Amino acid sequence: MGVTNVSVSIGRRRLGPALALLAALAWLPGARADDALPQRWVSAGGSISEWVVALGGEDRLVGVDTTSLHPASLQELPSIGYQRQLAAEGILALRPDLLLGSEEMGPPPVLEQLRAAGVRLETLSAQADLATLEDNLTRLGALLGEPQRARQALAAFRSRLEAQEAWIAQAQRSQEAPGVLLLLGHPGGSAMAAGPDTAAAWLIERAGGRNLTTHSGYKALSSEALLALDPDVVIFTDRRLLEADEARQALLRQNPALASTRAAREGRLVALDPTLLVGGLGPRVPEGLAALSAAFYPASSPLPAETTPAR
Amino acid sequence: MTPALRPRSLFIALGLLLALALWGSLALGPVSLPLGETLQAALRLLGLPLGGSELNQAQLIVGQIRMPRTLLGLAVGAVLALCGVAMQGLFRNPLADPGLIGVSSGAALGAAIAIVGGAAFGGIPEAIAPYLLSLCAFVGGLAVTALVYRLGRRDGLTSVVTMLLAGIALNALAFACIGLFTYLADDATLRTLTFWNLGSLNGASYARLWPLLLVAFAVALWLPRRARALNALLLGESEARHLGFEVERLKRELVFCTALGVGAAVAAAGMIGFIGLVVPHLVRLLVGPDHRVLLPASMLAGASLLLLADLAARLVLAPAELPIGIVTALIGAPFFLYLLIRGR
Amino acid sequence: MLQAEALSIHRGGRTVLEGVDLALQPGRVLGVLGPNGAGKSTLLGALSGELAPAHGHVRLHGRPLEQWSGSERARCLAVLPQSSTLSFGFRVEEVVGMGRLPHATGLVCDREIVEAALRAADAAHLFGRSYLALSGGERQRVHLARVLAQLWPGAQGQTLLLDEPTSMLDPLHQHSILQATRAFAAQGAAVLVILHDLNLAARYCDRLLLLQDGRPQALGSPDEVLRPEPLKQVFGLDVLIQRHPEQGHPLIVVR
Repeated sequence: MGVTNVSVSIGRRRLGPALALLAALAWLPGARADDALPQRWVSAGGSISEWVVALGGEDRLVGVDTTSLHPASLQELPSIGYQRQLAAEGILALRPDLLLGSEEMGPPPVLEQLRAAGVRLETLSAQADLATLEDNLTRLGALLGEPQRARQALAAFRSRLEAQEAWIAQAQRSQEAPGVLLLLGHPGGSAMAAGPDTAAAWLIERAGGRNLTTHSGYKALSSEALLALDPDVVIFTDRRLLEADEARQALLRQNPALASTRAAREGRLVALDPTLLVGGLGPRVPEGLAALSAAFYPASSPLPAETTPAR
Repeated sequence: MTPALRPRSLFIALGLLLALALWGSLALGPVSLPLGETLQAALRLLGLPLGGSELNQAQLIVGQIRMPRTLLGLAVGAVLALCGVAMQGLFRNPLADPGLIGVSSGAALGAAIAIVGGAAFGGIPEAIAPYLLSLCAFVGGLAVTALVYRLGRRDGLTSVVTMLLAGIALNALAFACIGLFTYLADDATLRTLTFWNLGSLNGASYARLWPLLLVAFAVALWLPRRARALNALLLGESEARHLGFEVERLKRELVFCTALGVGAAVAAAGMIGFIGLVVPHLVRLLVGPDHRVLLPASMLAGASLLLLADLAARLVLAPAELPIGIVTALIGAPFFLYLLIRGR
Repeated sequence: MLQAEALSIHRGGRTVLEGVDLALQPGRVLGVLGPNGAGKSTLLGALSGELAPAHGHVRLHGRPLEQWSGSERARCLAVLPQSSTLSFGFRVEEVVGMGRLPHATGLVCDREIVEAALRAADAAHLFGRSYLALSGGERQRVHLARVLAQLWPGAQGQTLLLDEPTSMLDPLHQHSILQATRAFAAQGAAVLVILHDLNLAARYCDRLLLLQDGRPQALGSPDEVLRPEPLKQVFGLDVLIQRHPEQGHPLIVVR
């Protein structure tokens, strides 16, 4: 810490206009003169961090929370812990200009301390819907000074979802929408099934499936209820359960109820990366949806893979 | 089992330990500050005019983050240790813990109601919302303790054994209710609940500190005045009565004091285990069970150890931090086992 | 002076003590005898204020016991319960020193008294040891020293109540402890002691109270009370009464 006794808040006010003026003289005439862009970012929230990277801002990140796992290079950054239990001094030690996070970020007294220390706080919603995503990307674009890139990313995201919808409509002409269950956690215990108000249900519906549950949130599901629901497809959030043949056999042996569902009989057990389920819509959502759809409608030829936007 | 230290040497050692813990708590953290600035900031906190009016980062970190946190740690550690002594005296058992009379489980239940219920119903007035959790935890702790005490009373006398059993039953009941709330909670509130149960001094601020400081002062002033009565109580209730102490009043005061102290500590910092159990035990090993020494010494030791545990909590994983309850349990539980095995 | 008038105690709807009239006398030792469940400890509980009487009164120096403040009472009435459970490692002199809690006589004086009381209870050699490291008999002597310290040096107007102080002692200490009790009474204190051993009672008590089913059966000198008929009636024992060849007190031999 070489500049600790430079007064943080007052210093920025003094330096800000000067820097902006220099920038305006040296760079494009369109550079904004009222506020220098934040250079050192801390991001608390998996999909937010992912979008920052997707929009080309990875070199601004100086710290991320424990849910920021993608891309893997983020895991090299200092971890600020769980987003709801942030530590003020730990974050200040990273000397950030900006703390990005969802409305779940907290606890509130720590956020106040950070604000008092001159850190700019930006709260993006983690809700899984397109309007929220548009809002979030617009703000990230502005913060990065890359509004154009953000608009392109959003358009690409939208068009992929539209293509996906069209593909599903096509597929549904030859096959009825399958009944789907998403099971969270290890099925050796009692697995938790995703209810209709979860991000999992959003993904299932968008991928052209029918989510079979009616409870709210994630609730443990009894073997009998599993049998009664008799899903056509079961989604697991642990890839290791399905990858190797022995693992799959063991899973079915341990869960006779699961083994006798239509999904198991027809071999339609699918794995989904659980990081897609938290923190709102991330850039990997279209890929995940495409993979799910392909599993839901095996007869239709899969949607051609597109390159991920802007990366 | 003969005490190893004279009280005077113990108090000197504990004073040094506390000074060390205070220094560490104010001077160390994820942000490394030059010693001179820390000192300057600390002196300015004491009101010394040192020139320059702007709030620099050192003053902000020492004054607004570390100082309230240190005060919180001091108060919580001191109160938990003092109340641990009070409970071990009340139950005349060196392995007793404030949790026995339901104050911790009651506070946890209150917190669960606040966290899960607050998230579910919303509509809580802005002015109360930030304090809702602490308030519910405090009230929950007092309510369950009051019930335990009430169940222990019969014909105007308080049976400590009945209280112990009622405490066990009500603890189980409280945890069942917490389980119910856990089941109803969504993912986010569940994590909040889990973290609350692990305790933390994170996010301490002066505004939220003063109720606990008030309670801590009251407990720290009052309990040592009952040192002689607690000594007599260790002989037995009728023995204490024959020595002229009003045992019924003493028991009532001890229960009330513990409910108030632990309730306020838990409300401010969440569940922090083992300080109330291990610290009095440790001090007793060093200077013997005389409460005239044990109470003030436990207070100093509890405050110091909690500050040191907090220091570990904020440095080990920096810039993230470990819940302090994990640190105290990781150190406290093996130590407790060691005492058990040693004492056999 | 401790006095009981027409004292009755109820417990759980039963009358466990009835019609006891008793006055402890300064300088004298009163022994209480009776089979298990006769109400001996109940009597001691009532006399010490632990149990509230259903009928009758207990007065200390003419004033009802319940009107005394705790510390005031503790300065002239000390009680040794049957057994004390102390699971904390106090040193012996600290345990005895607790007898001085009702007083404010200062550290130096208290220390002298503690040492004297320990000597009286034949426990001076235990000074400095941890209470938890003592045997049952040693602990009993330490507690006796504690109640002696509470009233030390034992003047007229003070009362000592002892519930089976010899139950865990070897024969030598049974005698030395009761001798110490007598010596204490000789300073002027009134002593009540519950005993099981008839011969110890005969030797060390000035008066004896014989209890059966909560009722006093006999109250008088050992010679008056320790006779074959009352003992047969109360204990169901056939005994011969002889004389101690040297001391002259009654000696009870079971037939």
